[in-house]
Amino acid sequence: MRYKGYIGKYLEVDLTTGDIEMKPLDEGLVEGYLGGNGIGARFLWDRVPEGVDPLSPDNLLIFSTGPLNGTLMPNSGRMELIFKSPLTGIYGDSNTGGFLGPELKFAGFDLVVFRGRSPSPVYLWIEDGRAELRDARHLWGKDTFETEELLQKELRDPGIKVACIGPAGENLVRYASVQATTTRSFGRSGGGAVMGSKNLKAMAVRGFGPVRIADPERFYEVAKRSHFGIRGNDIYPAVSRYGTPGIVSIMNNIGRFPTKNFQLGGYDEVEKINAETLRANHFVKDIACFGCPVGCDKIYRVDEGPFAGLTVRSFEYESIGGFGASLLNPRLDAIMKANDICDRLGLDVISAGRSISFAMELYQRGILRKKDFDGLDPAWGNMDAVFELLHRITYKQGIGALLAEGTRRAAAEIGQGADYYAMEVKGQEIAAQDGRAQQSMGLAHATSNRGADHLKGFPTIDETGYPAEAERRYGRQYLPEMADPRSTKYKGYLIKDGEDFAAVVDSVGTCKSGGNFVLAQIYWPDVAEAVRYATGMEIDEAGLKRIGERIYNLQRAYNALHGITRKDDRLPRRFMEEPNYQSTPEGSVCRLDEMLPEYYRLRGWDEENGLPTQGRLRQLGLDDVIARLGPRLKA
Amino acid sequence: MRIQLNPEKCTGCQICENFCSFKHEGAVWPARSRISVLKWEEEGVFIPFVCQQCERAACAEVCPVGAISRDGKTGALEIDGSRCLGCKMCVTACPFGGVAFDPDRGRAYKCDLCGGDPECVKMCPTGALTFDREEKSALARKRQGAEKLARYIEAIGR
Repeated sequence: MRYKGYIGKYLEVDLTTGDIEMKPLDEGLVEGYLGGNGIGARFLWDRVPEGVDPLSPDNLLIFSTGPLNGTLMPNSGRMELIFKSPLTGIYGDSNTGGFLGPELKFAGFDLVVFRGRSPSPVYLWIEDGRAELRDARHLWGKDTFETEELLQKELRDPGIKVACIGPAGENLVRYASVQATTTRSFGRSGGGAVMGSKNLKAMAVRGFGPVRIADPERFYEVAKRSHFGIRGNDIYPAVSRYGTPGIVSIMNNIGRFPTKNFQLGGYDEVEKINAETLRANHFVKDIACFGCPVGCDKIYRVDEGPFAGLTVRSFEYESIGGFGASLLNPRLDAIMKANDICDRLGLDVISAGRSISFAMELYQRGILRKKDFDGLDPAWGNMDAVFELLHRITYKQGIGALLAEGTRRAAAEIGQGADYYAMEVKGQEIAAQDGRAQQSMGLAHATSNRGADHLKGFPTIDETGYPAEAERRYGRQYLPEMADPRSTKYKGYLIKDGEDFAAVVDSVGTCKSGGNFVLAQIYWPDVAEAVRYATGMEIDEAGLKRIGERIYNLQRAYNALHGITRKDDRLPRRFMEEPNYQSTPEGSVCRLDEMLPEYYRLRGWDEENGLPTQGRLRQLGLDDVIARLGPRLKA
Repeated sequence: MRIQLNPEKCTGCQICENFCSFKHEGAVWPARSRISVLKWEEEGVFIPFVCQQCERAACAEVCPVGAISRDGKTGALEIDGSRCLGCKMCVTACPFGGVAFDPDRGRAYKCDLCGGDPECVKMCPTGALTFDREEKSALARKRQGAEKLARYIEAIGR
């Protein structure tokens, strides 16, 4: 490998045979796809065709770093996990913060690719250029906290970094997470179930080597500028102080805080669960991910009541939304408890919370009845029932077995119009991000390649209106509409650009919340410079944009292989038909059809079928995609 | 002067390790950083740890060839690489792990205060590391301790 920033080696682990290969990372591959998300998408395209069941040995599970992971760039600890999703049946990925990605590089590898299925539970131990599969039968059934603790003891090093599944992953819950050093999560899309299907309990990593840089002096300058840029950003003090819970009140004020399974856009008891209350009653300490000057993570503790002694970290806006407002639960300590249960059992808090609010609404509507819940009372706000449901989902007991399939499959099974209350897109549950109060967020959910998602398009500048940032990023000619959450104008551009940029950020290994989208300090030119100087690759802003677009198109093409077309770029009827009156007095719905045509046009996709045209794919160097998708694509 | 440690402000981000190793090794290499953040994750206790430039320095006293001496300007105890035998006595003698051994170069290394402008302090985002006159840092700690009292007096004072 001629390029720095990378280690230049990766591990390919065949769990069926137990073989471990060390392979060189291909230069052409990183030139085309950078790393992380991009390389993972390419491996899926090349090696996991349509027809492969996501929970079969033929699926891949790819832990993937990028060239900026473990470097001086701020927040360079973020790592990708790529796989075909058991929740959506299409392209799936997930991303975690923490320290795992850098540690893997310090241990001498850019990626770890798992294939096959082990005959019995195993874990992979990677230490300084060596890797071995070890028996994990004694870990099977243990929760994620126990697993990490046992591995630390077994490997006699408190500094190991662990990725592991809990019982939910073992039991193939379709939205099981992979926990990274217990409280950080590869949450979305069900990577934990893929890991469980492979009988892979954990990966433990320790490394003492370097990450080398092509042009140290120039890279140092970009990194330093980025650090001080973030630290000088207007919202740095607030993000640093409150973390993601800081937006609870802000979202509630604009009617964008999903309440009662999206029946409402605001919660009348929001003061009890907002960041100020959280900080006043539970704050212990600021903590940070690798190389992060923001430190949005916190340790929180419950001192009194039924959960006294409970300590949580990586406790985010999404948990407060999902287990607070969305369930009509005004008790922060109970939200923290639900978050803790999800972390330990290995469940995605977003899909888990949304599956339960779905069930509670079905009970409210009389579609599900009390007898369906085996003695539980699924009334809104009954958190004891919620805790019990999380366990039943994990162990697939009673109604839990149904909810463990995700809301789309559960709704199909239940029938009786239950699908109206399943708040999902392409099978992935919608986060606490209402697309009626912010039009661009609706578009983001509809077009995201992993199903409903706020983090692909990640529209931040029009949430509450940041005209200065909109002008800096896109130019004055797009104002005022670009920064107006209620306008649909230019939102195709906003989301297309966001998706391409996010694909790059997730491929280089930095943090979208810490500088790229939230604290929007770092943008295309900065990342281009950082990649150029870190790797020595001849790349400029235009080249980087092309890579982002290539990655996004390849993911879309992968989904097209699985039958995805324009018809799937839709939203739940509730978003399209049922007004959100907390957003505007006259009520607002998501006007998706006003935005999609602009989006497809800018993408160079056919507006009718929503698929990339052959022309655009050729421009992006994706000729092999044309060959495989063939007649489905227009010229 | 020395690098003062304020563990209560440390978030465990390891930016100090990254920039320290980059400055001295030309690579991001936390394992070779002169400063290390020790973590007790469960308790949320993070302690940045680096040579405190001892007044009676065991590393210097034990060195058989006198390769470790104090820089008159910065006050840093520095290792003269050309004289270092690689005997590791300094590594053994330091009770805090302030000196480490580089097997590639075959010699010991430690914090040299970056010639008087330590990189770790420059980049630390939270003030967990400071580089001030001793008197000033003692005052800062007193101020920190007295803050609660100050707020209390302010609240009842008028």
